[in-house]
Amino acid sequence: MLKRKMIKNFGWPLKTAMREIEVTRLYPEVMMELPENERGIHELDATTCIGCASCARVCPNSCIEMVHFKYGNPLKNKKMQFPQVDYGRCMFCGLCVDECPVECLKMGKKVTMAGWEREDIIKGPDFLATKRFSAKEVADLEAEAKRIAAEKAAAKKAAAKEKPAKEGTAAGNAKKKADAKPKEGGAA
Amino acid sequence: MTNASEVLSSIQSAFPGAVLDSRVESDRRLWATIDSKKILDVCKHLTNKLNFDHYSGSAGVDWIARNEMEVVEIMASHGAHKVVAMLKVKTPRENPSVKSLANLYWNANWYEREIWEMFGINFEGHPGLYPLLLSDQLIGSWPWRKDFKGYPDLTTGERAVAITTPEGYTEYRFPPTPAEVEAGAVVAERPKYPTFREREEREIKSDSEMIMHLGPQHAMVPGPFLLDVLVEGERVKKGFLDVGYIHKGIEKIMENRTWLQGIVYTDRMCYVASLSNNECYCGAVEKILGLEVPERAQYIRVILEELSRIQSHLIGTGEFLTLVAGVGYAPWQYMIIDRERIISLIESVTGARLTHTFVRFGGVRNDLPDDFAEKCKSTLPYIKSRINEFIELFAQDAIYQKRMENVGVLSAEDAKRVGIAGPALRASGVAYDMRVEDPILVYPDLDFKVIVGTKGDCADRVDCRLREILESIYIIEQCLDRIPAGPIKPEAKIPKKVPAGEAYYRVEDPRGEMGMYVISDGGDKPYRVKVRGPFYATLQTLPPLLEGVYIADVVAIAGSMDGCPSEADR
Ligand code: SF4
Ligand code: SF4
Repeated sequence: MLKRKMIKNFGWPLKTAMREIEVTRLYPEVMMELPENERGIHELDATTCIGCASCARVCPNSCIEMVHFKYGNPLKNKKMQFPQVDYGRCMFCGLCVDECPVECLKMGKKVTMAGWEREDIIKGPDFLATKRFSAKEVADLEAEAKRIAAEKAAAKKAAAKEKPAKEGTAAGNAKKKADAKPKEGGAA
Repeated sequence: MTNASEVLSSIQSAFPGAVLDSRVESDRRLWATIDSKKILDVCKHLTNKLNFDHYSGSAGVDWIARNEMEVVEIMASHGAHKVVAMLKVKTPRENPSVKSLANLYWNANWYEREIWEMFGINFEGHPGLYPLLLSDQLIGSWPWRKDFKGYPDLTTGERAVAITTPEGYTEYRFPPTPAEVEAGAVVAERPKYPTFREREEREIKSDSEMIMHLGPQHAMVPGPFLLDVLVEGERVKKGFLDVGYIHKGIEKIMENRTWLQGIVYTDRMCYVASLSNNECYCGAVEKILGLEVPERAQYIRVILEELSRIQSHLIGTGEFLTLVAGVGYAPWQYMIIDRERIISLIESVTGARLTHTFVRFGGVRNDLPDDFAEKCKSTLPYIKSRINEFIELFAQDAIYQKRMENVGVLSAEDAKRVGIAGPALRASGVAYDMRVEDPILVYPDLDFKVIVGTKGDCADRVDCRLREILESIYIIEQCLDRIPAGPIKPEAKIPKKVPAGEAYYRVEDPRGEMGMYVISDGGDKPYRVKVRGPFYATLQTLPPLLEGVYIADVVAIAGSMDGCPSEADR
């Protein structure tokens, strides 16, 4: 009786082998279907990133460094600094994504990043950016930024001009006052 | 039913003046500072009169600003009542020393050794204060004290120096700076005590005995730890354990990370139980913050933690079956295939396969995807049928039964005494489950049984795990029916700084009782995090369990504990 049962047990893998198909031998021919929430390689929307470096600060492994990148929005990101991720250290925890105030950093379904050297897996914004401006758009935005800056500078200048004038009048007033109150002047 | 204030008044009336300070946090939590002279008597009183038969661990804390150290003894009961007493004993920072409980509670041994090597707190009357997790060279530098600068000394950048010994071996030394030697800040000479090798070789009494090494790299061990057995013929006379091969110092690392960043480190203590570790840490911090978790988030946490329990039990059992290898049909592969489905389910919510970093203070990171309930409805019945099939297979396999039944039997009395946890404890017939003892989240509303075994042998331990999977499936099904709509995070922003306070939070890890003791000093980083892991407790019980068994059974016994040395070492 026992023996018959055991033979049944040995038959079990045969039965299951017929039912189960390959589980592990899919990659790289067939990519597994990944869920929407997958935390893979980062995706950066360079058009909205404000370069605040919140992501770099929260990263437990300090693998984010802020680097220069051309195709962002100079209006919002004045210094044009964007995150660069060192995938040699990244553990895909997603804290940086949660911390981003404008939700421009996401994690996508892409997971392959092998490289021959250590430097190959340090990926800059050029690799991460899924959305970016074209060179022309950037030029336009830069022109816009310059214009705004120039306007601001002009406004500042005007203000500065006004200020000495005001100060002048103030000084004048003070003088007058001092003149009016010789006592104080004497004290000074 | 006993509650915390009754316990406190009982101690106060039995030992007037012994309680220096106390706080009754809730019915289940008592915090008390006990006079260091009376701690042994108080513990005896608790155990004998008030049913505190579960010594759950102890933690060291270095209060450098107050110039004192603290040892916190965590006492609980195996089901007689639900109070956890956190008894603190203070000692000055110069020559810190407290009374050892190791002669009262067998399992205090390891906890005290760890505190000694990390903080330098001496335990008077401890039977063998030897290094546990640290290497012998590090003793004397007390790395978890707050004024520890790094080893080798990071302030000087001194590195190890290679020296060739007279026998021709290369040794590495970390020389102290002359200034330190002069100031007496370092131990120039290491304290003399026998090493692990010497200690075990002392036990060889005759020529017919020898020591057999299993590990640190061995097919039996799920991670590196060294199990040496002293054998005479085919019988094991004594077992010796050496752990600390993957000691990562996570508790210390967490003191240097912000509260939020700490979550990712809890993942890495034990990756098959990362969700319950997340839960434990976040729960403790929520307690200090006084945060209420939205109901939907609570359900999501429960669902994912139960899924994680299923996958952990599947891999644990599968791994174990490869070890006993007597079963010709190798269910390992099939369990891994089944586990793959559970992992995909979890991944569809968290976005990661093993290290989830999913639970957040006051909520969870993501909501369940729309098709989650549907996917569960197709996967869970399949897993259920498979588990029933496995149970049937084992029940009718004569080889399996011969290898497993009545092997490594742990009676209920012994299991309680040695402080073993989780399915290994329940297999002995002690219904001790944190989901009932210290209910969190929505567990009190859910209907489930605590699975217990009868004999406490290896077969029972495996059987308990498999039946627990069925119970977890039942829990998830209930949750999916009941889960309400609503927010998954609190409305208010979580502050970067956590107000000063402390909390002890327990969850039922797949391996048993996981507790975290978190202290905040009001800063943006934890002041101290103590992890009381379940496998630490289980691992400690291995040597006495192995005494007198056949060598061939060692693997069956050690494997049936479903170990995770990574969590024991932290
Ligand atoms: S995913 Fe985690 S480790 Fe990776 S860059 Fe973001 S914060 Fe750093
Ligand atoms: S990605 Fe987000 S967090 Fe990082 S710099 Fe840009 S805006 Fe700030």
